[in-house]
Amino acid sequence: MTNDPVVEATDAVPDGPGPTPADDAARHDHALLRVESVSKVYGSGHTEVTAVAGATLSVDQGEFVALLGPSGSGKTTLISIIGGLLQASSGTVHLGDVDVTALSSRELTRFRAERVGFVFQSANLVPFLTARENLLYVTSLVKGGSRTQAKARADQLLEELGLADRAGNLPEQLSGGERQRVAIGRALMNDPDLVLVDEPTAALDTALGRQVVEMLRREIKSRGKTGIMVTHDLRMVEYTDRVFEILDGSLTHVEEPSALGH
Amino acid sequence: MSLGGTEIRRAKLRFGLLTVAVSLLVFLILLLTTLSNSLISSLVGALEGLDTDGLVYAAAAQDTIAASRLAPETEGAVAAVPGVASVSVIGTFTTRGEVAGTDEDIQVFGFRPGEPGQPTALSDGSLPASGSEAAVDGVAAVGDTVVIGGRELKVVGTLRGARFNALPTVYVTWGAYDEALRAANPGLPFVPVNAVAFTVDDPEDVTSVAMAIEGAVSGTRAYTLNEAVGSIPGIDSITQSFGILVGLTFIIGIVVIGFFFLILTVQKMRTFTLLRAIGSSTGRLASTVALQITVVVVLASLIALALTVLAVRGIDTGIPATVDPATVIGTIGAVLVFSLLAGLLSIRRIARIDPASAVGSR
Repeated sequence: MTNDPVVEATDAVPDGPGPTPADDAARHDHALLRVESVSKVYGSGHTEVTAVAGATLSVDQGEFVALLGPSGSGKTTLISIIGGLLQASSGTVHLGDVDVTALSSRELTRFRAERVGFVFQSANLVPFLTARENLLYVTSLVKGGSRTQAKARADQLLEELGLADRAGNLPEQLSGGERQRVAIGRALMNDPDLVLVDEPTAALDTALGRQVVEMLRREIKSRGKTGIMVTHDLRMVEYTDRVFEILDGSLTHVEEPSALGH
Repeated sequence: MSLGGTEIRRAKLRFGLLTVAVSLLVFLILLLTTLSNSLISSLVGALEGLDTDGLVYAAAAQDTIAASRLAPETEGAVAAVPGVASVSVIGTFTTRGEVAGTDEDIQVFGFRPGEPGQPTALSDGSLPASGSEAAVDGVAAVGDTVVIGGRELKVVGTLRGARFNALPTVYVTWGAYDEALRAANPGLPFVPVNAVAFTVDDPEDVTSVAMAIEGAVSGTRAYTLNEAVGSIPGIDSITQSFGILVGLTFIIGIVVIGFFFLILTVQKMRTFTLLRAIGSSTGRLASTVALQITVVVVLASLIALALTVLAVRGIDTGIPATVDPATVIGTIGAVLVFSLLAGLLSIRRIARIDPASAVGSR
């Protein structure tokens, strides 16, 4: 593995003893999330840029994994394809029995509202809605469900996230950590199958970042959700079950967090 | 949850200022529309309001009723034209008179009650039925008196929108008119008729009958009522000029309103991107913008209407300006519809949002 010139080219992602993603996927043939040979190519001819090349990965239900790589490695593109935000150039993404790559734009919008919870690194909350309203808004995007139940669930989530007394506050009245916790609550509000988290600690100090990721893990695991966290911060991978390393658009290895020597 | 309504409640200052700005634009449009309509009405209202299908002038009058002089027997000649149902005479002249104690220039109209050519824009009281009565569009009320050629007439009715050449009008019976004109022009051999008003038989076309009158009665020119109004010298230019003024103000107002909301949309692109990413459809976000445009334009229109009413009452333009409900509803409706169309600029921006840009952005 140390002979891999790509991995040697960066010191941001230390090498570990794990298998290749394709080998790892074969061991998870009943995984909830199955990404097979996904590529994303922008432009054509001499302006062609491959953002993701033949990515294959599988994540079981109840797993919380990290997608680790330096800036520009393609992790954002890959998570966008998995979350139905971006169409792949080739390959397939299955979440349960849904072929995400076969959905129309309108279907993808509904898929994102019903099946995926997102936690972005910033611009994460609607600024003119309170913490509670930010949670309640996503319930209005899916059909069915009573408003009373939604309010009870929002209050329960905010309670669990330690934000019960901040429910009526606007995002500008919350700290960075509190805003991320509200975003976690919103991501879980519609009881999605998949939670995608993009650099959740980017705007937080180390202690707060650990606190948020720990909370994220606890909420995802306790609810039996599948979570993928995009990060370039090695210190945060200890809270995940497995780490997928990505470099120059290619998934290179799947590691145990302990193997990365964070 | 109404995203648009919640944002308005949370950003009262921003939307308040926007509403004030839009209300000033709508006020400008409403005031210009009201004043131009009032001015045009004060120029041609007397003719517009005549109860007739058409009018016959002397051919030499060059479309001007005041310059038209017809011999009294013209009435009978017009009545004999096939297709004409009924006829009557109309006379008019400008003189100095006294209306409710005020000495001023007035336009006197003479007509035969109950026959074609009587005024219709009665707002109070009744039309004159005898030689001692008059109906007035001017600063007079029922019960006041007007003095024409030394003869005192009692005001029994008031009219609205029945002025002529921006002068107050006094409508009297043909008998009173005859006396007033003779008093103003001693030695007049006969009282000329300015126009013959005619109605047509039910299935007949007014334009065709008018052409038949011109062919049958030499030295005349016959018009439908609308043609007679539109032919008043200069009225087309005035109407067009005001139309351009109001139209340009309207277009500029709508474009500015559209830009206001486009600016708001651009300022909220990060929020809209987030909302698209978490599963809000373009249609849902577009309805948010449409709701906000509707709320702002409706509130602004109410403020603008109040300002217009105050301005019309407070500004002395020399003509009776009134806020016409139909004009107000039409103008506000048009502002709302075109503002929503201008809002398509914002909706286009929203439709072009790439939800994937929510990932990886700081």
